[in-house]
Amino acid sequence: MKLGLILLVAVACGSNKPAPKILHVDIRGMKFEPDALAVSVGDTVEWTNQDLVPHSVTSAAFDSKAIAPHATWSYVARTGGDFAYNCTFHPMMVAAIIVR
Amino acid sequence: MQISSDDFVSRIASDSSLLGLMRTSIVLVLAALLALAPSCKNKSTEPAGGSAAGSAMGSAVAETGSAMGSATAPTPPPAPAGPTDPQIAAIVVAANQVDIDAGNLAIKKTKNPEVKKFAELMVTDHTAVNKGAVELVTKLKVTPEETDASKGLVAGGADNRAKLEKLDGAAFDKAYVDNEVAYHKAVIGVLTSQLIPSAQNAELKSTLVGVKPAFDAHLEHAEKLQASLEGGGGSAMAGHKM
Repeated sequence: MKLGLILLVAVACGSNKPAPKILHVDIRGMKFEPDALAVSVGDTVEWTNQDLVPHSVTSAAFDSKAIAPHATWSYVARTGGDFAYNCTFHPMMVAAIIVR
Repeated sequence: MQISSDDFVSRIASDSSLLGLMRTSIVLVLAALLALAPSCKNKSTEPAGGSAAGSAMGSAVAETGSAMGSATAPTPPPAPAGPTDPQIAAIVVAANQVDIDAGNLAIKKTKNPEVKKFAELMVTDHTAVNKGAVELVTKLKVTPEETDASKGLVAGGADNRAKLEKLDGAAFDKAYVDNEVAYHKAVIGVLTSQLIPSAQNAELKSTLVGVKPAFDAHLEHAEKLQASLEGGGGSAMAGHKM
């Protein structure tokens, strides 16, 4: 009985921590949509290139290299911080993810 | 910034900063693009069985005939007001190929790293756009149909490359980049005023709309590069570095 109660409390405490999420960014019309995205540590951000030309998702912390048209690239946010990124092919394309 | 094709013709005619040789080739390419408008108008109003005529002249004659015909004969059925989807496909492929070929020449000839980077981007992007366009028309079972406009684009591109071949160093860089600015303005103008409104297939129209921002970005990049070359050659994209 006591053991069961301990297990129940442990499960209840564990459920307070939100499960990691998968968040999406579209690359469309030479823009990142959304161009600012807040995520939690552990979340995955998935970029999909909807344009006909290749793009990249490049920052000091991560670099997708070329993402082909209609292809997807993912990044798991493991450390907090503000990460501005751009496309190395088209440097006027800028955006950011905010990891908390 | 976007200008109409007519504005662009005027600008080319009045812009003394453009090299004379570039003006000739740009006008050739632009003339091919502009040939779309009168030839299409001609097609839409030409009576069945009418003979083909020079595009501008044919347009005027056809319009007169149509106005006269309206008093004595039933109104002809409405026809597409612009190029057909197969004709659009051929124009798109030709327009991209012209810029790919110019880019490959620039990669080979330029010593300027910013010009080379831009040329590499043109080859990469326009090759990708053509790949997507070919995949789409194959899926739609549309066979590209050459027109005076698409043939004129190819001829104008070859003429431009022949003239660029004779230049070197800073003269080559300036001529190549000036042409890229003018060419992208012309292509964006025709894409906006002719190709997108004329496309009948929804997926083709959507693709044309979707590719325009890339051409806009190329124009912006080319204009920055042009300003950089005129100002002594700093980084054209310095304002965009992260």
